[in-house]
Amino acid sequence: MKFIKLTALLVTTTLLVSLYLTGCGNSSSENESTADATIDSTETSESDANSKQPYAGVTINWISQGVGDSGWEGLTKPILEEFEKETGIHVNAEFYSFNDLFEVIETKSASGTTDFDVMSVDVTYVSKYGSSGYLEPLDSFFTEEEKKEWTDAAYSAGCWEDIMYAAPENTSTQILWYNKTLLDEAGITVPENDGENRLTYEQIAELAKQGLEKLDPDGSKGLIGFDFQQVSRVYQMNMLPNSMGGANIGEDGFSVDGVINSDAWINSVTWYQNLVKEGIASQGYDADQLPEYFYAGKMLFMVGGTWTPTSMTSEDEIGYTYAPCFEGYEDKAATSTGSWYFGVNSNSKQKEAAAEFIKYFTLGEGNDMWLEINGDMPCRVEKLEEIMADDSDYAGYLKIGAYEAQNSAVARAVTPAFGEYSTILDLTWEDVRNGADVKEALDSAVSKINAATAAYK
Amino acid sequence: MGSIYIKNKWLPYLLVAPIVILICLFKIYPIVDSVIQGFRLKESWTLDNYKMLFADKTFWDSLIVTLKFNIVIIPLQIIVSFIMAMLANVKVKGIETFRTIFYLPFCISLTVSTLIWQTMLNNNNGVMNSLLNLFGFESQGFLIDKKWAWLSIILIASWRGCAYWMMFILAGLKNIDRALYESAKIDGAGFFGILFKITIPLLKNVLLFVFVANTTANFLLFAPIQIATEGGPQGSTNVLMYEAYKSAFKYSNRPRSSCIVTILLIIVVAVCFIQNKFLNEKEV
Repeated sequence: MKFIKLTALLVTTTLLVSLYLTGCGNSSSENESTADATIDSTETSESDANSKQPYAGVTINWISQGVGDSGWEGLTKPILEEFEKETGIHVNAEFYSFNDLFEVIETKSASGTTDFDVMSVDVTYVSKYGSSGYLEPLDSFFTEEEKKEWTDAAYSAGCWEDIMYAAPENTSTQILWYNKTLLDEAGITVPENDGENRLTYEQIAELAKQGLEKLDPDGSKGLIGFDFQQVSRVYQMNMLPNSMGGANIGEDGFSVDGVINSDAWINSVTWYQNLVKEGIASQGYDADQLPEYFYAGKMLFMVGGTWTPTSMTSEDEIGYTYAPCFEGYEDKAATSTGSWYFGVNSNSKQKEAAAEFIKYFTLGEGNDMWLEINGDMPCRVEKLEEIMADDSDYAGYLKIGAYEAQNSAVARAVTPAFGEYSTILDLTWEDVRNGADVKEALDSAVSKINAATAAYK
Repeated sequence: MGSIYIKNKWLPYLLVAPIVILICLFKIYPIVDSVIQGFRLKESWTLDNYKMLFADKTFWDSLIVTLKFNIVIIPLQIIVSFIMAMLANVKVKGIETFRTIFYLPFCISLTVSTLIWQTMLNNNNGVMNSLLNLFGFESQGFLIDKKWAWLSIILIASWRGCAYWMMFILAGLKNIDRALYESAKIDGAGFFGILFKITIPLLKNVLLFVFVANTTANFLLFAPIQIATEGGPQGSTNVLMYEAYKSAFKYSNRPRSSCIVTILLIIVVAVCFIQNKFLNEKEV
């Protein structure tokens, strides 16, 4: 009996509680309806805002590289905020380290996920992602006039088999940076030079050697004489064999025998290895760590991109000049080029909003902001002309960059097997830096690349 | 309970069903799928993936590195773990503190411990080279010299791994009746006599488990290699697991990766079978 009474009590209480809650619900509905009147008065201004923000309430996801406040994560924040103000599209950005981004794209895209809409694409991967169906063709989102706003080279690099898969954010070019404060301290003056009369790598090595002897004779300060900003990555290291006339890959986009083990490669790689052996170039730091030494005022000379000044953490004065060439190969001066593109995930549910974001970042105000924030070389014809016409000091290094882009830039290996090519060659560069026999290392790279690309043939 | 069991003969199956389903979904299916992927190329069935793999010198080099690495690391970890467990089993005041200290490395994630070791072994400003310099020795390229790199990876993996395996052996040691040791001592048995005639035989089952689990873990070791050496220098740490990872995520060549993983699976099963055969000869 007691059990029945208890159950009845429980049921009654539950009913009362639910009735009370329903009552609350009604009263709040009433409140909402009374509030409708006040909403009416502001409706006009909100609809105005909506007309200005055609995608209000839409959220898209962007995956990119550059973790941290000093990386893209921090640098792109104002651009994303401005974009949201203009369009109403909120961009959820996920940033990964440079190496991790490729794995993330590969894993996500291969699984057909819809959890991201826009991806940052390294230019060398456009053909691979395009042919694999990871990227949505962008031809329908960009008018012919818009496409013409980029340089032909930049636009073409975003295409594969005449279909546009990615839009260029910027390009890159290399110049020679030096720490003027340290060189002054060592009493070293960088000789006058220009695009037609460049300094040679041999000269730079000698100046760096003299600088180290004066500033850090016992190596206790940990100064580095000369190195490449992206050490042991084909992106910048291939500048050396290119500067002796060596190609990056055979014309078929696969063959490497006789190319990356040619005399140009062997001689230039040996030159770099000797630089490491002499203690002028560094050992044991990777491409993420090494540039920090220049930014912190611990390196005398560095071949690097135009984004270098914005990355400086030291108060030291830095100077810049044209990229060096090899003695006897003055007519073959070469610099690396290419940079980041934006593409739409082919499985995205919000392709239109994603394309809006890409347009804003590659052609619109966002691109202007980006070029100013990061100091990258533009792909837009209008901006390039603006730089060339600008006489202010600020644009000095950009001018040199623009000159290099037009006169010495060598495109990276164009191959659907760029992942295999760069992974193997990056390790080869690192091996020779660490003392491996140059000829053996390059021959081994040939054999590895041949084996790794067998599946494509 | 007994009556329910008798009435419902399906109940035991029902109770184990969730875990069986989960094992099938997350263990068996990926293995089967991986084996299948190894025979698929351009949407057709083929042996070409294996043909290409066997014609690839990198694969054979990687296989040799894997075997060399495991021939050293497996016995090394088991011997060190065994010694640590013996030390941790000694009855002295405050032994619990020592046990905690011994076990502590395992509480640090492998990624973090690798990064710490990477910093310590750095050839420019690592503490290990500073110590060498202090005693008048030259700096060594612990992670950039092919003579040292694979040994450095063994050091990193063992520093953490030994702490883990020690706990299993210690648990086994605790289960051995101390009266046996006392009797042996009364009969005049020395340290090694007790070790080989009492301790090791009575630990056979525990050691079998440790051998099998340790073999599996080390054949599939990946994180320290990816973080510290990326398979270099000159391929000296390019174990099969890392080669499989590169194939899948850097080359986007999943069939090649599947072939390598399948071969690894066969090797691990074969090694475990041999260990089982030797250690499980006689039940103690």
